[in-house]
Amino acid sequence: MRRFLDRHWYAYAMVLPVVVVIAVLVLFPLAQGVFFTFTNINEGNIANPILDRPATYVSVGLDNYLNILSGDSSYGAFWGTLVRTLIWTFGCVFLHYTIGLGLALLLNREVRGRAVYRVLLILPWAVPAFISAFAWKYMFNAQYGIINQALRAVGLPDPVWLGQSDWALVAVMIVNTWLGVPFMMVALLGGLQSIPGDLYEAAEVDGASPWQRFRHVTLPGLQAVSSTVVLLGIIWTFNMFAIIYLVTGPNPNTRILVTYAFERFFSGASRDFAVASTYGVLILSVLLVFAGIYRRALRKQGEVW
Amino acid sequence: MRRTTLVTAVAAASALVLTACGGGDGGSASGDSGEITFWDTSGPNESPVFAKIAQDCATKGGYKVKTETVAFDQALNNYRTAAQGGQGPDVFRAEVAWVPQLAKLGYVVDLTGTELAGDTSDFLETPLGSTKFDGKTYGVPQVTDSLALFYNKKLLADAGVEPPKTWDEVKAAAAKLGGEKTIFINNDAYYALPFIYGAGGDLVDADAKKIVVNSAENVKALETAKGLLDAKAATTALDPANSYNNMQAAFTSGEVAMVVNGPWSVADYLKGAAFTDAANLGIAPVPGETAGEGSAPVGGHDYTIRQGTKAKDSSIKFVACMSGVESQVAVAKELGLLPTRKSAYENADVKANAVVSAFEPVVTSAHPRAWIPEGGQLFDPLKIAYADVLAGKKDAKTALDEVAKSYKDTVVPEYTVG
Repeated sequence: MRRFLDRHWYAYAMVLPVVVVIAVLVLFPLAQGVFFTFTNINEGNIANPILDRPATYVSVGLDNYLNILSGDSSYGAFWGTLVRTLIWTFGCVFLHYTIGLGLALLLNREVRGRAVYRVLLILPWAVPAFISAFAWKYMFNAQYGIINQALRAVGLPDPVWLGQSDWALVAVMIVNTWLGVPFMMVALLGGLQSIPGDLYEAAEVDGASPWQRFRHVTLPGLQAVSSTVVLLGIIWTFNMFAIIYLVTGPNPNTRILVTYAFERFFSGASRDFAVASTYGVLILSVLLVFAGIYRRALRKQGEVW
Repeated sequence: MRRTTLVTAVAAASALVLTACGGGDGGSASGDSGEITFWDTSGPNESPVFAKIAQDCATKGGYKVKTETVAFDQALNNYRTAAQGGQGPDVFRAEVAWVPQLAKLGYVVDLTGTELAGDTSDFLETPLGSTKFDGKTYGVPQVTDSLALFYNKKLLADAGVEPPKTWDEVKAAAAKLGGEKTIFINNDAYYALPFIYGAGGDLVDADAKKIVVNSAENVKALETAKGLLDAKAATTALDPANSYNNMQAAFTSGEVAMVVNGPWSVADYLKGAAFTDAANLGIAPVPGETAGEGSAPVGGHDYTIRQGTKAKDSSIKFVACMSGVESQVAVAKELGLLPTRKSAYENADVKANAVVSAFEPVVTSAHPRAWIPEGGQLFDPLKIAYADVLAGKKDAKTALDEVAKSYKDTVVPEYTVG
């Protein structure tokens, strides 16, 4: 042991700062959050040195997990919320990816004014999310909003977009798609431009149809970019809080796991740090399981990242 | 060359650090910094008036005041977050339901024994009740309010309709007032209270420690509200996020004839096309199940001082000045907000204010709310339930049973559902 340290002390000294930083910035808060899930901590019993008050919360064992996983409506109707979160996540990412890919293919051609199109299509990304959210909220106003005015003008039914029905989820998915497409488009455009042109030429010489060229040259060429941005997109969308909360507020029809955790933590009936932390741990678990499966699936296809 | 750069950089950096520290320490040296930050939660029409009165108080009292306007719906949350970390304003304008909650969490100074809690005989009973928690005083009433029926006098006169006293009369008036254009129902929890109190219901019974939100009276109350919509005698914005703004827009443009709202909305209304002539705005008590039994909740705001403030003495002087008769008269005169001091109502200018005189009987007969720490937290579950009922997604009984369950699980666990 002694010899080992003598020989390798320098390496350990170099690694130490990183270990300390990670421990302080990542591991300690994470461990504290996990610890909170086994207590009944809330705003009333947390320690507060400024107000000169000691902590009085107690351990409650697995109660928080049991309450939430029972799917009780007072604890956010976990299973229903999880299903809604999955619909929201995969719906949004599917639309992001397909629309983004379509636009990227269009922009990858030599068209006049390509730079202008590109700037216009990136614009939603450049607008701060909360401004987009408020603008869309006005547009979705059931009585005065431009969307329903247009629908009424052409004689279509005008739903209450942000009301107490599943239309609210459709509405926020539209907003999020509008916001998320530019990123996918730019990323995929980068991927498209890195595919060598002679591959297409060779395919053409071999008599491949446009669909075959897309299927056998473009898609494989994009795989590295796609798998990364899709995973990123899923994690971001799964945790997308701002859009939902700013557009619909605490509406149970658009409630996903993170918005409910926020409601429990900051607003709503009580500042229930314990239940909110439990939600945080459950969200992390779901994402870890998903990322594991996703990686394994990719590795089977020979993709390593 | 390289060395001099380094030296300069170090010198500059340490200078920055030193000044930063100096700035932070400056205020806390003495017992009272003499600088007050006041969080004002009033709306854009009202805040300039409060800011001006605050400045006048500061000039007279010999301290400095910085007024910050904070959005009402964010204020409680922001204050709690700030106060938890020892930050935030010195003086906070808290809604009446927030005071017991802030007191329980230890975020506001106990004012018992200060001059603010000394002689309170001039204050109206019900607003004063909101400042007490566990027998101690934690605030000073700023303004009081309640909900009333606002109506467009011209529209009602043209249709030959008297301001309705019961919800049935509202329904009957709809035939003459153009059906859905009769009244706008805001689907927010606070605006469900006139229906609930009017039917003899309540949210919780604090004395008996009982949750009564799913009582038969309340079911009937929400069915009455929904019944108005079903009978095409009322309209609502079914998207809760837009509800309040749509209500204001519909009433100020003359699109609907009546709304239920509080005195704070008057300034908004008088800017609207329908009320360029202020005399067109009529104010009457909210309708009830039976005539004269209408009952609206007591609202209003109190001044509180943050626990941990560095300017406690100045803050006390400031609150005393802001809640004094002179300030209250000025607020009532300019904004039509309702004073909490009896003597302010004696003032000739206040008496002459149409809004104040119309609201005075409303406030004196208003239904007190339960002054419990959880009082403000009762609204979130009710808000969702009320919106669900008005949208026809759930019947009143199911929705209210869920509210009762949610109260039991997360708001007042020690209460019994009864």
